Amino acid sequence: MTLTPELLRSVAAARLRDTHPELSAHVDSSTPQALRELVPRGETVVVTVIGRFSLPDWVRETCRFALSVPVERRAPWRRSFTRTVHLSGRPDNLRGRFAFDHVAADGSAAWLGPAPDAGTATLRRLLKTFRGGRELGAWSPVTVEVPGDAARPPVHRDLYVATANVTVARTLVQVNHLLVESVMDGLIGPGDRLTLRAVPRLTGLAAPLAALRVDADTHRPHELQAYAALTEEA
Amino acid sequence: MTASHRRKVLLAPVTVTPAKPLTPSHLKGLLWTDVMFRATARLADVTYRYSHTAYHLTEQTLGFWEYLDRTRGDVDYSGMSEEDIGELYVRFRAEGGTPTAAALRPYAESAEAGWVHPASERVLRRWLDHYADLGLHEPGLLAHQPPELGLEEMVAALVERGLGLDQRDVGGPVFLDATRFGLPLRQIVSPDGRPNYLACALRDLLPLATRHDEVVLLYDSDLDPDYQLLQRVLADDGTVVHRVPLGRVPIDGKITSARHGGWHDHTVGTILRSIRDTHEPRARRLGLRLYFIAVLGPGRQESWRHDLLHRCLDRAERLLARTTAGHRDAPDEPAPDLAGELARHRRDHTHVDPYRLTSSLLGRRAPAGELLTEVFL
Repeated sequence: MTLTPELLRSVAAARLRDTHPELSAHVDSSTPQALRELVPRGETVVVTVIGRFSLPDWVRETCRFALSVPVERRAPWRRSFTRTVHLSGRPDNLRGRFAFDHVAADGSAAWLGPAPDAGTATLRRLLKTFRGGRELGAWSPVTVEVPGDAARPPVHRDLYVATANVTVARTLVQVNHLLVESVMDGLIGPGDRLTLRAVPRLTGLAAPLAALRVDADTHRPHELQAYAALTEEA
Repeated sequence: MTASHRRKVLLAPVTVTPAKPLTPSHLKGLLWTDVMFRATARLADVTYRYSHTAYHLTEQTLGFWEYLDRTRGDVDYSGMSEEDIGELYVRFRAEGGTPTAAALRPYAESAEAGWVHPASERVLRRWLDHYADLGLHEPGLLAHQPPELGLEEMVAALVERGLGLDQRDVGGPVFLDATRFGLPLRQIVSPDGRPNYLACALRDLLPLATRHDEVVLLYDSDLDPDYQLLQRVLADDGTVVHRVPLGRVPIDGKITSARHGGWHDHTVGTILRSIRDTHEPRARRLGLRLYFIAVLGPGRQESWRHDLLHRCLDRAERLLARTTAGHRDAPDEPAPDLAGELARHRRDHTHVDPYRLTSSLLGRRAPAGELLTEVFL
């Protein structure tokens, strides 16, 4: 699979169609703007609280959280395009006041939801939007294993992440959507292993892909860019 | 009361940025603090902490210095008035633009070492004249009073105590985190390393607070959310911390910040000049305290009124005349013990309440001379 502007648009259009089939007839994938204008604003949200950030730990815990979301709460979140608000905060200071749905094993992050917007308002008022303004930079490939009892034979995939001109905060947003939607689609399950690989840009990626995350280009906001990709079995 | 039983009290008023003339709102804070300090000092060991060195590092001060050097060059500030320098400050604030941390770095490094820009030094020297005129205790306006903790040490101490969140490693800010008390997260250091005044206050007060039994924070009531946070953090190790918020003094019903200018007829210099020829120095000192403490009170309802100030000055003159003449409310009784008299104006705390103490003067024909000389003159 080679990345092209047409491919990126078709991935974005497919996500819109799959999430809101009723819009199928209206989906115009000729331009990124046309696609963006169609996206309905959902009212279900997940709020994550980030204390300390380390990509491998955060990937593992994000998968654990997504796997823990009961089936009946997945649908409304999915219809809101797995909308997630990332906030700065110390989970250890908040656990007395908020019943989180998931807290990372090392206490570095916590998740609340999926819930209606209003249900997270108090937490959102107390904290501030996560502002990781630095670029992540390249790292040596690192493999994380998704915890839990495997329901099917475990799979080993590569997770490619674009790093050039992408801040930590933006990486969080992009990779989060890819991971949680892949969990919901059964592409990531307990016992699976993910090897995290940094590349400046996903351009030229030759591996067969199971999922691709696209959004507005960091340099050319009217075009699309691939931010993260999950390969078929490595 | 022996020395070993005296409680240790730290008075920590918010400092005024030395970039503009003092206004009635500033004067109110200075007089309240002074009466509290001098009265409480008879009853306890009081530290009056007022370190400009600690707060020069805020962006508004360093930014002003950098702006002056960039736009004015090497000029002589020694002949300028507070108002002249204040006009430059208003221009700096109006022109906006946030200086980068890199542009401020030379100023920050020098300020840490004790350097003060000549424009601010000029302003502080003028303030020293006002302090002398007003009979205010001088807490070291021009002294190098570095905070005990460096920025990194302060951040580490907060994080260690569960009261800080440092996300600079990912390009985020440092937050003061009192969310476990239900108070909102507050940025204190920007992602590129610029501290705000809360960060400066914490560097200065965290170590000092632990060595005192009671801390009193006096500040402009507009800063209340930040001072609630500061109170929580300083009280975390068991120190008793009191907040004393003071409302600004409206001019013609309007509350304005000195950064916007418009202070012209209402600077402390102007006020002092206007009463120099009508009242003698002791009456000026007492009258100003009666007006700014007892008449205006802690709130912000009453606008500045020249006529009321003059009534207070006249009242002060009468009180002083009676005291000097030796009259007492009850001439046959022995002079009351000053410490006992002052202690009546505390509530459940060690520090003396300036409002209660000053208001008590209004109800008397002749207060004890010692009370006036020790606390009000």
